[in-house]
Amino acid sequence: MGTRLLTGLLWLAVLVSALVQIGVVNWQRDLIQVWQREDGRRAQLQEENSRLLLERSTLTAHGRIDQLARKKLNMTEPDKVQVLSQ
Amino acid sequence: MNASPNEQPVTATGIARWRFTLVMAVFGCLLGAVLVRLVILHTVEQPFLFEQGEKRTVREEVQPAMRGMITDRFGKPLAVSTPVVNLWLNPQQVNIQQLPIIAQDLGLSARELVRKTERAANQGRSFVYLQRQVEPELAHQVLDRRVAGVYGDDDFRRFYPAAEVTAHTVGIVNIDGKGQEGLELAYDGYLQGADGSRQVVKDLYGNVVKQLKVNSVAQPGNNLTLTLDLRLQYLAYRELKAAVAQHHARSGAAVLLDAHSGDVLAMVGQPSYNPNNRSGLRPEHMRNRAIADLIEPGSTMKPFTVAAALQSGRFRPETEVDTSPGYVRVKNKTIRDHRNYGVLDVTGIITKSSNVGVTYLSREMGAEAIWSFLTKAGIGQATALGFPGEAVGSLPYPEQMDALRLATVSYGYGLAVSPLQLAHAYTAFTQRGCIRPLRLIMEDQPTEHCDPVMSAQVARQVLDMLETVTSDFGTGRRARVAGYRVGGKTGTAHVVGQQGYEDSEYTAVFAGVAPISDPDLVLVVVISEPQGKEYYGGEVAAPVFSRIMEQALRLRQIAPDDGSVPSLQMAAGGVQ
Repeated sequence: MGTRLLTGLLWLAVLVSALVQIGVVNWQRDLIQVWQREDGRRAQLQEENSRLLLERSTLTAHGRIDQLARKKLNMTEPDKVQVLSQ
Repeated sequence: MNASPNEQPVTATGIARWRFTLVMAVFGCLLGAVLVRLVILHTVEQPFLFEQGEKRTVREEVQPAMRGMITDRFGKPLAVSTPVVNLWLNPQQVNIQQLPIIAQDLGLSARELVRKTERAANQGRSFVYLQRQVEPELAHQVLDRRVAGVYGDDDFRRFYPAAEVTAHTVGIVNIDGKGQEGLELAYDGYLQGADGSRQVVKDLYGNVVKQLKVNSVAQPGNNLTLTLDLRLQYLAYRELKAAVAQHHARSGAAVLLDAHSGDVLAMVGQPSYNPNNRSGLRPEHMRNRAIADLIEPGSTMKPFTVAAALQSGRFRPETEVDTSPGYVRVKNKTIRDHRNYGVLDVTGIITKSSNVGVTYLSREMGAEAIWSFLTKAGIGQATALGFPGEAVGSLPYPEQMDALRLATVSYGYGLAVSPLQLAHAYTAFTQRGCIRPLRLIMEDQPTEHCDPVMSAQVARQVLDMLETVTSDFGTGRRARVAGYRVGGKTGTAHVVGQQGYEDSEYTAVFAGVAPISDPDLVLVVVISEPQGKEYYGGEVAAPVFSRIMEQALRLRQIAPDDGSVPSLQMAAGGVQ
């Protein structure tokens, strides 16, 4: 009687662990998929980030700002020192 | 049917029983052989076969790590990596008919590509670069055509937004992303990061079927922050370039330091190069003139001789020295001034840049005292920025200095410094007589420790003397900046050629400090071999100093400290 019960329980345990294993493997695949998707997104964002960074530094290049200030905005350096006091 | 006793037994269908047994036995043997083979395949040969199978399908894929960014002190990018794709093809798998479409996408010559591919296929090669470092957008357009045998690998390409302005300091990487020059080389390991790798299953055509596991995730490299200020760097570069072009000089360098901390704010050299375009790189353009070139500092050394004399306590700024008749004979050489200045005080020696005066001072001091003073100021000592090709310079030991050598060292000949070292030495005057190590990398903690070179009082006295150089009586009038009190020292040295000093080739130097009341910046300008009538430090280097300093002081929002400028008083008075 006792051995029978034990065998039955072991069978059950085997079945349950087999099912759990299937589930875990599936879960792991899902996670890898999610990770891969996110990794792709990361790469894309990284690419965009460095592109924008370069774009910004090109647009704010000192030579360009200097030219724009002088030509477009007609700005000049003050030719004499001016100190404004209250 | 009746079986006769001497006939052989037959089966029900009349076939002899032995034949039946034979056939069955043969079948049995065959089955057995198959079974044995199966068992052998599954047991004895299993590891080998498994391995071979894996070899054909499982691949380790390397994921390149992104190289760290190099920025200036305010985070402006100086070197940035951006993802690109290396396109390659397998000539064994590719269909030649499809190549022209790809060539068109990439802007390549179709005929050239076909020829290249055919040649590679004939040689049995299975890897040919189609094009390296293609923008991701274009690369995906090509890959989306799904041409057999065309693949793309992720990679990074380095961009240098400030291009030639920072090229010498930042350096350059090669096409494989390894540092070749400058800080890219010095901090290669720090910037590099660690490549990641993963195991994937690929089909015959190299497409990833499934991912097995991730061995390591790519670790991006560390970012490097420099103490450079890109705005100052830019304007120093612009002014230096203009001056080098104007005087048709061979090369030039400028170093701008923070007078309080010894931070390198700008370091530029001419000629420069564009690190974004590797074709047409020339080694002589890649030399960092500010760090790797050695110059004889000429008269810019005189303030140190004078400071040593003041520090000894035997001289005071007012102490009078007779420099007449304007020359002095030391051993077999005559040391001359421009003209006979007569009796000068110690301040006057600096103002007029009197060679005879400093010769007298150095003779009074002795070689030992001069040597130890200059050594403490960092002359002949490595600047230790960790920069490849950093020059150490040279300073003769006291026992190597005879009377003549001592005299020449006192006015800046017979020793060699880099422009950076010269600027560093001048920070001794601005940091109240002590000197801190230079700093180029923000990640290095600034050192509190400041090595004493001279007393704060002597440093102040020398600063006041330096200011007289830009006065109406001095040699550096053209270094003046309106609104600010500026001090410095001109220097002109003969260039050393194959047969000793060249008669007509000079190095023009100006080393200076501003504003004098509370120094904020130290700037050294070196122009090598200016051609034409102007070659003195006061004529060639001083105007560059003035232009860089003027803009730098304004950018750093330093209040003008010169109350004697008429317009300043006018403006101040007008508002009230």
